[in-house]
Amino acid sequence: MRERDQGEIEIKTEPDIAVARRSVRDVAIQLGFGITETARIVTAASELGRNVHKYAGSGVMRWRTLSNGDLNGLELKFEDHGPGIPDVNEALREGHSTGGGLGMGLPGAKRLMDEMEIHTAVGEGTTITVRKWRR
Amino acid sequence: MNTEPITVIKVRDVLLVTMPADPDDATVSALQDKTLEAMNQNTVRGLVLDLSKVEILDSYFARTVAETAQMVGLMGGETIIAGMRPSVAITATELGVTLGKTRTALSVDRALDMAGRPRSNRKRYPQ
Repeated sequence: MRERDQGEIEIKTEPDIAVARRSVRDVAIQLGFGITETARIVTAASELGRNVHKYAGSGVMRWRTLSNGDLNGLELKFEDHGPGIPDVNEALREGHSTGGGLGMGLPGAKRLMDEMEIHTAVGEGTTITVRKWRR
Repeated sequence: MNTEPITVIKVRDVLLVTMPADPDDATVSALQDKTLEAMNQNTVRGLVLDLSKVEILDSYFARTVAETAQMVGLMGGETIIAGMRPSVAITATELGVTLGKTRTALSVDRALDMAGRPRSNRKRYPQ
């Protein structure tokens, strides 16, 4: 039984997004993800980390390695206590943005990862969990 | 947090702007200032933006590149994006990134070759 690895990165300032990206990159490479899969995971982390900073001001990214039989994976969980997302379906729609961006962050991150779960409550905060399995 | 800086050098009559592997937001936003300032100080046709070291092109980075190309265009220059890695091209496309009508080249070498030529009247490469 392999020991599970995990860690967390606080996202408080813009440079923390790059710190989170680099941590995710190192873990993904250690887990044996290929160059393109690693780029997908790191890009998704960058989009979700930037959303935390942009909408909530601060939050945390927790990562952990997953093992499901022969499958290994990586889970990233972005938690903030920001304004929450009033309409998740709308936020997942292509080209929708309330933060002055291009509106590709959330739907883009979903496409780049295998699984995405969004828990959000207006006025309380948002937790977005994404997972990638190694093929 | 240390990030490698952007380098800007003049090669013949174009500016060669090289982005580091994983620039933070401050470095990305410096791209616009550095590039436009260098355009203003040099007599050049345009710029070649070397992305060959870049490992990640997220939406913020992509938007800055597209905007910079547009601004360079307003100043009368042309931008050629060079050397994007396959993993970056795949990921950026899946994310939904587009770079508008910006010309692209496989490598800096080819981009420098293209730089003097108008878009509509491109010569074929000698075989």
